[in-house]
Amino acid sequence: MADTSLPHILVVDDNPDNAHIIRDYLEAKGYPITVAYNGDDALTAFEKVRPALVLLDVMMPGRDGWQVCREMKQHPTLGKTVRIVMVTALDDWVNKRQALQTGADDFVEKPFELARLGSAVDRNLKLTPAK
Amino acid sequence: MDYHQLLRDSLTRLPTVAATVDSVRKAIQERGELVILYFNFDRYSKVEEVYGWEKLDSVLETTGSAMREYLQQTHLGSSRLVVAFPNDDDFIFFHVPSEDTPAATDAELTELTSGLKDAVASQIEQIHGEDIAALFDIFVGRSHVIYNPKLRLERQIYRGLREAANASKSLEHREQARKVSDLRETLRNRGLYIEYHPIVVAETHEVFGYEALARGTMRSMRSPEVMFEVAAQADLVWDLSRLCRNRAIEGMGKLLKDGELLFMNVDPSDFADPAFEVNELLVDDPTRVVIEITERTAIKDYPKFRGRLKEFRDRGYRFAVDDAGSGYAGLGSIANLEPDFIKLDISLITCIDANFIKQNLVETMVKFSNDHGAMVIAEGVERAEEFEMVKSIGVHLVQGFFVHKPSANAVGVKTPYRPTPVFRSDQAGT
Repeated sequence: MADTSLPHILVVDDNPDNAHIIRDYLEAKGYPITVAYNGDDALTAFEKVRPALVLLDVMMPGRDGWQVCREMKQHPTLGKTVRIVMVTALDDWVNKRQALQTGADDFVEKPFELARLGSAVDRNLKLTPAK
Repeated sequence: MDYHQLLRDSLTRLPTVAATVDSVRKAIQERGELVILYFNFDRYSKVEEVYGWEKLDSVLETTGSAMREYLQQTHLGSSRLVVAFPNDDDFIFFHVPSEDTPAATDAELTELTSGLKDAVASQIEQIHGEDIAALFDIFVGRSHVIYNPKLRLERQIYRGLREAANASKSLEHREQARKVSDLRETLRNRGLYIEYHPIVVAETHEVFGYEALARGTMRSMRSPEVMFEVAAQADLVWDLSRLCRNRAIEGMGKLLKDGELLFMNVDPSDFADPAFEVNELLVDDPTRVVIEITERTAIKDYPKFRGRLKEFRDRGYRFAVDDAGSGYAGLGSIANLEPDFIKLDISLITCIDANFIKQNLVETMVKFSNDHGAMVIAEGVERAEEFEMVKSIGVHLVQGFFVHKPSANAVGVKTPYRPTPVFRSDQAGT
């Protein structure tokens, strides 16, 4: 059962298996979770649920994760406060610099370990403004 | 979302030209005229290049709000402030006279222009500091569109916009010519002084050395970035570099304590200057001089360049790579220069406490430096949180307003001279 006092998290992944594993893991911790399976739905859900944190897959058909990240971070009202964690292997300097250009705050390497994902969620939520 | 982003700029909350045309259409048709002011913020791109995109975003927010606040106090009919495109750095002002008042006179527009310029400049200086305020200029071009019903209104507006933009460009060119003349005078009179910006040991706060920052005594030459940009246009870079080096070295003898190092900026192109020779530099102890080479300027001929570096190394000079990590080049290009010090690009330090990707990049750089016997310097440290974070990551040295501001009189606690491990094995004479 989601704890409504905890911040909302938006999980974006075009692979339903991945998305559901993350959702189940975070829901078990009490977080209210919304799942989107592509970039367009993610942007719609973003404005609707106003999440404190977004876990964003990079490789998606259509708008990829970088583009979605950029658009979320440029959102006039929500962009300044949302934390975005890219779920991808940023394995070299170039990728990490590109991630900074989009406004991303953190990354979790893929294939991900749930414990690492959990600690990335915790450390980023600590930096979000109090409700 | 795409559509809305085209209509309004998320940073300044100002509408774009495309979004504004419809809302002013009726007024222009009724009043028959439109005055356009085009605000060209020269060198905003430099702010982004030096400090990173987050800084320019923040400067643009300040600019937008300063302009909005100022305009609220004026009485210029149905005037509107807009941006050309989202995320662009130029601003446009539309003035359509309201029904009961005549169009603004030239005198009123001149007053408005100068008021807006002052309001923006003072807000930027107050919020972002003198260095950023000294970096840019504002050029305002003006055009007057007289409505012609035979022509499509949008085209008349866009032509007016181009005319105002061109007028602002002409002013910019005129100003450039004036600046070249100011630079020549600076060179003739040796009209620059050095501010020494302390670099401290992260663990102890002891002063390790000073970076020499050149400042022109003329107001227009206050910013070193501006001086060097003007010098590049006038083909005077070597002359300016020589003066900066000489001034920095003169001050070193007078102001720096024994053991404190002088960090001196040198552009890769300076190594082609015949006057930049080991024997020409009047340095008593070359082991106390660190030559900072920026990673931003491309080095064309690496083997030749490395040969030149070796001449200096053999005398005991040491090297720092400046703005390291500013581009996509990564660690390979840094390794090529075999530096003794690696100065991280300021964009990696700003808000590092809240960005885990920056922390990861800096950790990588610290590990690389430790493996190669170099020291990492974090510059642009302005907040306690940034200082604590870089220290906890293992950054060796710190520079920034949080620890010390630059000063024409070097200050700081004396630090014992600690020779750093050398990076290479071919250094002779040390």
